[in-house]
Formats: sequence, C-alpha cells, structure tokens
Amino acid sequence: MKHTGLILVVALSLLAAGCASKKGFEQPGYAFGCPIGEAKVSSMDDLVKVKTVSEGRRTTIQATELRCTKTGDLMKIDANLNNDSRSVKRIAYKFRWIDREGMRAADEESWKPLMLYENSNMVINTISPSNKAADFRLILRSEE
Amino acid sequence: MNPRFLIASLAALALLGGCAKEKTSYGDAKGVETLTNQFGSTDLQMMAESMARSMLTAPVIVSANLPIVTVQEVRNKTSEYIDTRGITDSIRSELQKGGKVRFAVDQAAMNQQVEELKRQQNSGLYDKESAAEMGRMVGAQYRLEGNIMSIVKQVKDSKDVYYKLNLQLWNIRNGLLEWSDEKEIRKTTTRG
Repeated sequence: MKHTGLILVVALSLLAAGCASKKGFEQPGYAFGCPIGEAKVSSMDDLVKVKTVSEGRRTTIQATELRCTKTGDLMKIDANLNNDSRSVKRIAYKFRWIDREGMRAADEESWKPLMLYENSNMVINTISPSNKAADFRLILRSEE
Repeated sequence: MNPRFLIASLAALALLGGCAKEKTSYGDAKGVETLTNQFGSTDLQMMAESMARSMLTAPVIVSANLPIVTVQEVRNKTSEYIDTRGITDSIRSELQKGGKVRFAVDQAAMNQQVEELKRQQNSGLYDKESAAEMGRMVGAQYRLEGNIMSIVKQVKDSKDVYYKLNLQLWNIRNGLLEWSDEKEIRKTTTRG
C-alpha cells in the first residue's frame, strides 16, 4: 500500500512538472527570447502584434516571425518579413529601442529601405545599440 | 494708364511670382532619400549603423574591457566624391554610444591634440599642477580602417550603382585582423 502511494505521488509530481514546462515560456516576461513585459503573449502571432508598429503609409508586408537572443549584454533580433502579393514591394523599416523605464534607449534610427520580391520572405536582423536597450518595436512603412 | 504705375505693378507681380516659386520646409533627416542615385544620407546612416552594431558584437570587443581604438579615414575607391570623414565620424559616434570601446586621438586630430598640449605646457598661461602633462597620451590597441567602392553600370535609360563598405579592425600589437564586415547597397534609377 505504502509503495503504491509513493508511486502515485511520484507519478503525479512528474505529470505536474511536465504540464508546467509546457505552459508559458522559458522565462517570465519573455517570449521566443524577446522581452514582452506585462503583455499577454501565447503565440508567435501575439508576439508579432505586440512588437510591430505601422507608421506612415501602410504596407501589406507583414512580420511573420520574431526571435531574439542575447549576444553578451546586447539583444540580437531576427524578424521574418513576408510579401505574399504577386508584385515586388518596397518598404522602409527601423527599430525603436526602449529602456527598462520605458524611455527611449537610443536616438531614433534611420529608415532602412528594403525590397521584397513577390511571394517571398526576407529575414532582417539587428543588434541593440547599447545595453540600455531592454525592449524594442519594429516599425514598418510603405515606400511606394 | 500711367507708365510709372504700370512699371510698379509689373515689378510687384514679378516679385510675387518669384516669391511664390520658393517653398522651404523641414524634412526627416532619418528619412529615405532617393533624389538621385549618388551616395546619400540614407546610405551613410545605414552603413554606419550596420557596421557599428556588427563591431559591437565582435568577440574582441565583447571580451575586452573597453578596448582603445583609433579610427583611420575610410578610403574612397568609388568614382564619385564622397566625404569619407562623414562615414568615419558616424561610425565612431555609433560605437561611442554603444559604450563598449574608447577612442584614442586619430591621425587627423593629432595636430590639434599636440598643439593643445604645447599650449598648456609652454605658454606659461596655465597652472602647472592642472596643465596636461606631455607623454601621458594612451596608445590605441586596435586600428579601424576601411574602403568604400562602387560599381556603376549605365545603359540608355537605366543606371545601376552598387556600393560596398568594408571595415577591418586590426590588432596594432600583433598585426592580426580581429574583425571585418561589409555592407552592400544597390540603387537603380530608370528614366521614363
């Protein structure tokens, strides 16, 4: 009886641990390596919505994936942009960097022009300008 | 009609016409500039940003404690006039903001540095205790240098320009290349 109880307790603990690791993300306040603060992010789509902003002329180009990692004390970001239209699209993008207090962590970046072929994906990447940058937004605009 | 009145009216109209043609407004200094396909502000900003960010993650910069770098002017190997000092200064500013490197006085600023030292030491105007001493300057550990080149192709109604900026970080003590990276830009102009 004692053995059966022990086995049952161990099995329940393992099950609970397994469920816990599947819930949420590896670190609180982070999703796919990217800082999310208090935002509720449970999928890649949620993360893209939280991190991507459109300014100026709207573009049909969409970010479909964002992944972040640390290199030293700087943040490295990969963003996948998708052009699902049947024509070449020209856009401009920039990253906006935010510090731990929610203030701008760096001067506004320059707009970077980009051409995407029809029905194609392109990965843009960047590195935070300094270790003051704790969060970011990817800003997109049409250049057509 | 009075001829004087006619002349005055014509002069006033000409003045108004002249004024109406000109309009000045402020623009976005960080905006995409596509006025011509010559080297422009967007190219300069993109190159400086991309290169500085790449260099900030170089193992030699990450592992060292505020390494000292001297910057040499980027050599212009394109067919057009480019103020390469502007490229160098922008890269240095970006790196400085990153807070991972320090900069030693470069060749271009050495004359002013030496003149200031001499002024403090030899003019007799400064308090000896607070005046900067000779022989206290710190030598750089690394040397940053680079080239910008272009390939220009032109046919009747189309001009294609390809720019490539290459930067290298050399270890001054042992002559090893510690980091290198490139940034490419292609611009095409078509008429009609």
